[in-house]
Amino acid sequence: MEADTVEIVEQKSPSSLSILLRELIRDKLALISLIFLILIAGFVFGLSLFLDQAEIVTVDLFAINAPPSDQFILGTDYGGRDVFGQLIIGTRNSLAIGILVTLISGIFGIAYGVVSGYFGGHVDNALMRIIDFFMVLPFLLIIIVFVSMTSNYSIVSFSLIMAAFSWMGIARLIRSKALQEKELDYAQASKTLGTSNFNIIFKQVLPNITSLIIVTMTLNLASNIGLESGLSFLGFGFPEDTPSLGTLLSYARNPQTLEFRWWIWAPAAILILLLMLSVRNVGEALRRAADARQRRG
Amino acid sequence: MSFLEVKDLQVYFPIKGGIFNRTVDYIKAVDGVSFELEQGKTYGLVGESGSGKSTTGRAIIGLEEVTSGQIFFEGKDITDKKAKNKNFRKDVQMIFQDPYSSLNPRKRVLDIVAEPLRNFEKLSKQEEKKRVQELLDIVNVSTDSIYKYPHEFSGGQRQRIGVARAIALKPKLIIADEPVSALDVSVQAQVLNFLQEIQKELNLTYLFISHDLGVVKHMCDNISIMYKGRYVEQGSTKDIFENPQHIYTKRLIAAIPDIDPKNRDKQFKFRQEVAKEYRESYDTYFDGDGLAFGLQSISNTHKVALPEKG
Repeated sequence: MEADTVEIVEQKSPSSLSILLRELIRDKLALISLIFLILIAGFVFGLSLFLDQAEIVTVDLFAINAPPSDQFILGTDYGGRDVFGQLIIGTRNSLAIGILVTLISGIFGIAYGVVSGYFGGHVDNALMRIIDFFMVLPFLLIIIVFVSMTSNYSIVSFSLIMAAFSWMGIARLIRSKALQEKELDYAQASKTLGTSNFNIIFKQVLPNITSLIIVTMTLNLASNIGLESGLSFLGFGFPEDTPSLGTLLSYARNPQTLEFRWWIWAPAAILILLLMLSVRNVGEALRRAADARQRRG
Repeated sequence: MSFLEVKDLQVYFPIKGGIFNRTVDYIKAVDGVSFELEQGKTYGLVGESGSGKSTTGRAIIGLEEVTSGQIFFEGKDITDKKAKNKNFRKDVQMIFQDPYSSLNPRKRVLDIVAEPLRNFEKLSKQEEKKRVQELLDIVNVSTDSIYKYPHEFSGGQRQRIGVARAIALKPKLIIADEPVSALDVSVQAQVLNFLQEIQKELNLTYLFISHDLGVVKHMCDNISIMYKGRYVEQGSTKDIFENPQHIYTKRLIAAIPDIDPKNRDKQFKFRQEVAKEYRESYDTYFDGDGLAFGLQSISNTHKVALPEKG
């Protein structure tokens, strides 16, 4: 009996982190995507520490629309501003907003949805009506009004206003899944074993919907980066002195720039494409890892 | 004071419909059921699907809302959900029908079996692991599999892990909701014999819910037959199998297959007789709605649902 115990102590169970890693290593495409994402993020966040945003966005009339050269790796825009510097800082801003919005709206939406679905009945009814109210609000309009009213907003406040209107989707999704899960025998069994509702929700039910959470969060990350770029492209995101991928893209609204000055908008467009694809690839691999039956590793 | 007493238990499920989703009618899943359990014995609850036998079990443990009636456990009224306190949770456990969904697929065996221990006993990690290993030892699941996930086990092993979880707190009453109907026959015998063994060791009381009369005969001291939410017959195993009084019970017993070919003709004739009796005397055993009558005692241990004789 004692020999058994010793043996078992040595035999560690694979932690969920190592399962995720193993799955990523098995899927070469996802691995490349992840490395790409980490490199881009590291590069962008690292380099932006050394770049001076104020200096980059200062107008330089002697270097307007310069093509790529030794001095400006990716040329300059119509204000003579270094596109490469804008790209670095813009990617950092876009990534930061995407991640922040996804995290804030995800965490709130998941908690909201799982509580609503688990308790059901009147609680569910009340919580869902609140969601309905938020869904009928014209959120683009509200963001645009917010942007035009507040002259000075930071990444955090912009993320918060975006998150305030993007948690409903994930909340509804999680709620519908929680409604199913709580009827399963294991959740009922937990009740008969005297486990508290809080523990059933967050320790029993939630781990069973992680795959759904991971997939939605990753897709949300991609779409939130897209949303921010879209808003900036339309001119309702950050102003030009706070570059993002969207502001760089918006230069392409000028036909001259679109046709003759590719260096201003093409790098940003390619970067958005690559970021989205990579995020999706990684999300797919994580989804498989969360479901033991679909794992490759 | 009896161990567990159920008095006139009713569980109705509303049927919603019409404008504004009003309650238009009720499904009477359990419609006035009363029984008493003695400690250390096994009680069988038999019926066809939809007869309300599972609902009865689930209402006792608190997974279904009781519409009316009372449930007493060791003299205390535990009908209300709020009355189902920690002690009750500890003393009454349930074994679920489906070994595939009753274990959380994302938890390791250690976490599954330790769940009740974590709720009720403050144990250190080492003690906890030791207890889990002891429990797995009792149910004959290899003790070095505590870090495996449920999908790595066979149905029989999973059901035994479910049993290990149910006995972890040394409960007094176990409600076994068709514990073997999802298992194949060789494994059924294993699990049943094992349930009987631990009954002796731990002085357990079983409320054994099943549709399999063979299993019930093997396991139970007392049997109740349920039909459409009501009891039709209640008695000791001997009463039910040797002296069935209600036509529904007779039909159930006639339906037990006999594998001896010598008895084939005899069985066939017997079944025909019972079927004939059922057709002819349906009205004497069931009221206008096709429901059973109230129970009448015909001996100390035996009760049958018959119309009151005027």
